[in-house]
Amino acid sequence: MSSTVTRIRLAVVTAAAGVLVLAGCSSSDSSGESSAASCEPAKGKVTLQYWNTVNGMDKVVDLWNKDHPGIQVESKNISNDQYGAIGNALKAGKAPDLAQVGYDQLPTLRSQDAFVDASACKSAAGTESKFVPWTWSQAGFGGEGVYALPQDTGPMAMYVRTDIFKKYDVPIPTTWDEYTTAAEKLHKADPKLTMTFFDPNNAEWFNGLLWQNNANMYSYSDDKWHVTVESDKSRQVAEYWQKLIDDKLVRTDLANGSTQMFAAYQNDQMATQLGAAWGYTGIRDNLPDQAGKWSIVPMPTWGAGGNSGDWGGSTVAFMKGGKHLYEAAEFNTWLNTDPEALALANEVGGLYPASTDGLKLPALAKGVPYYNNEKIFDVFAESSKKVDTDFGWGPTQKTVNLALQDAMAKAVAGDGKLTDALAAAQSSALKSMDDLAIPATAGK
Amino acid sequence: MTDIATRPTDAVSPPPRGRRRPRLDGGGPRAGTIVAFLTPFFLPFVLFYLVPVGYALWQSFRVVRRSGGQYGTSYTTFGGFEQYVEVFQNDEFWASIGRIGLFGIVQVPVMLFTALVMALLLDTHLLKLKGFFRTAAFMPYAVPGVIAAIMWSYLYSPQLSPVVDLLNGIGLKPDFLGPGAVLWSAANVSTWLWTGYNMLIMFSALQSIPQELYEAARIDGAGNWAIAWRIKVPIIAPSIVMTTVFSIIGTLQLYSEPAVLRQISSNISSTFTPNMLAYTVAVGNNYQQAAAISVVIAVITFVLSFGFMRLTSKRAGL
Repeated sequence: MSSTVTRIRLAVVTAAAGVLVLAGCSSSDSSGESSAASCEPAKGKVTLQYWNTVNGMDKVVDLWNKDHPGIQVESKNISNDQYGAIGNALKAGKAPDLAQVGYDQLPTLRSQDAFVDASACKSAAGTESKFVPWTWSQAGFGGEGVYALPQDTGPMAMYVRTDIFKKYDVPIPTTWDEYTTAAEKLHKADPKLTMTFFDPNNAEWFNGLLWQNNANMYSYSDDKWHVTVESDKSRQVAEYWQKLIDDKLVRTDLANGSTQMFAAYQNDQMATQLGAAWGYTGIRDNLPDQAGKWSIVPMPTWGAGGNSGDWGGSTVAFMKGGKHLYEAAEFNTWLNTDPEALALANEVGGLYPASTDGLKLPALAKGVPYYNNEKIFDVFAESSKKVDTDFGWGPTQKTVNLALQDAMAKAVAGDGKLTDALAAAQSSALKSMDDLAIPATAGK
Repeated sequence: MTDIATRPTDAVSPPPRGRRRPRLDGGGPRAGTIVAFLTPFFLPFVLFYLVPVGYALWQSFRVVRRSGGQYGTSYTTFGGFEQYVEVFQNDEFWASIGRIGLFGIVQVPVMLFTALVMALLLDTHLLKLKGFFRTAAFMPYAVPGVIAAIMWSYLYSPQLSPVVDLLNGIGLKPDFLGPGAVLWSAANVSTWLWTGYNMLIMFSALQSIPQELYEAARIDGAGNWAIAWRIKVPIIAPSIVMTTVFSIIGTLQLYSEPAVLRQISSNISSTFTPNMLAYTVAVGNNYQQAAAISVVIAVITFVLSFGFMRLTSKRAGL
């Protein structure tokens, strides 16, 4: 028995190596700039693979399948390991026709040659005017080519416990300066109460705050990426939050969306949340007792009339390996611009549409009972308009995000500052790009 | 294969070698039979062991190059030891090895000592309800590691844990997920998971000791203590060595416990253990570097576990 066990154990030793093999059955690692593929309808019935992370998306797909017997779509939920699944499928040459990809991961996948350019497909290419401009420029990498269609966005706003603000007679802040003042007052009134939490393990959220401050992290010119993750703009955001953390005005021990976080809200220990449009269901569904106590207002701004930020949101990308580009474009366009599809996606998945028609959905014009029947989507629509359209992502964003998180966690634990985390993310960006032979340099 | 079976040498009767079992077919060993018996082992061995190791090695000697454009055209090429040089220069890698080393030096002895004491207790006549205790102690092993870690993460969490509430109630302010404590919280999950498993291996070894030995010892005047430490423990030393080797390997493979605790504690970085580092690098599309890290981890594991085995087998004369 023992030798069998030993052998099994020894096999486990190389588990990491094994994962790599499964991840990379295809040894043809070469990739290239994809030129626009031809877009011809197939003869006969076609079945498309569509990978996504949205619960209930299969219902939207059913809606399509019912009316389109010739183009059937199979939906697969990959929310457990979204980019792992996509990356492995690409390596194995088994990528689906369409996959949900976050805006911030588009350049990474593009540098892995993950996409096909669908600009030859009229249905896809002709949709530019139907989308919120910044979403289109992110999905198209700011240039020509249609690699993905925007699906949903995460314009940010502030979720506010109005009852708490009322109780301590503190005005709801509209600028970051006022936010600090309010945080001080609330904490003074009740030492157990903090303004919000800073989750050091959530680079995506922090990036949303950087985005708000126009802290653009990358640009491309002279055949090089220019990395400005660490800049005056980003340092301003980092220093602001460092002060809140140092003064113990925000908590740092909670992970976004965790049971622990909701428990803290349930126990009236926090007064606001800086969240995205897609987050309204999270509060509503996890804190049912607090119906009527929450409001959604614009995020505090840097000075009067400043920008808003965006956190998350996704595209549906045309993946390399799909053999039916025409049909994929038909479905993708329907999925992200058809009012009926958008309404259902919003209803079952809470998706906040990237399409301008989608923003006019009847469901989004109504008041939401949980939030005092307020028209909360008006706030998000306004926020979406104030998102910096120039902000873009790097080709090793995942690595940079992880480095940022690791260093933010250190800072929160008292080992360094958030500005050091920006420096760590900056050098991680340069190093990871160098590792993948992507020419990059620091600064503008 | 058939031509091997009908080799002319097959006709030559092999030289008699001691007692031989009678053969049903009356002929010599047939290559076909040998292949049939070995295939179930060798096929998965080659497929799931040699091929992955070979592929990882091959990947680890490659580097990515790229030509032209913002997103460029990438290809891999032979890079010699470039990836390994990078592993050895990577501070994060050595930090993770150091963390794991500290973890192992504390967790492995604590776990194995507990397992040994439990096995010895189960083996005495003093304990009633043996079957129950044996099953109860082994039970955690039946819980998948990820589930165990999730379960413990609730017990550690200051927001939800009744344990933390209780300790707060008596004036203690534990922070199981703090920067200094989180490594030991992960160690505790591992210990909880694996102590029963190790105990069972030691207990099985104890069961195979003939009762006459104890009778003889008692006649010579040995008490329970003396029997336990002077007879039982030395006899089951091979099992203890084996469980230690398993534990060393397990320590170097540590992944799921810290990865789960990471969800609720920001004090576990994405490079906390060597395996987590390899995963993080792979997620960043640097498969070649991840392969090199994996190979280095495998070599360190090999050296440590076999080193320990050689060291102890010489000492114990096993």
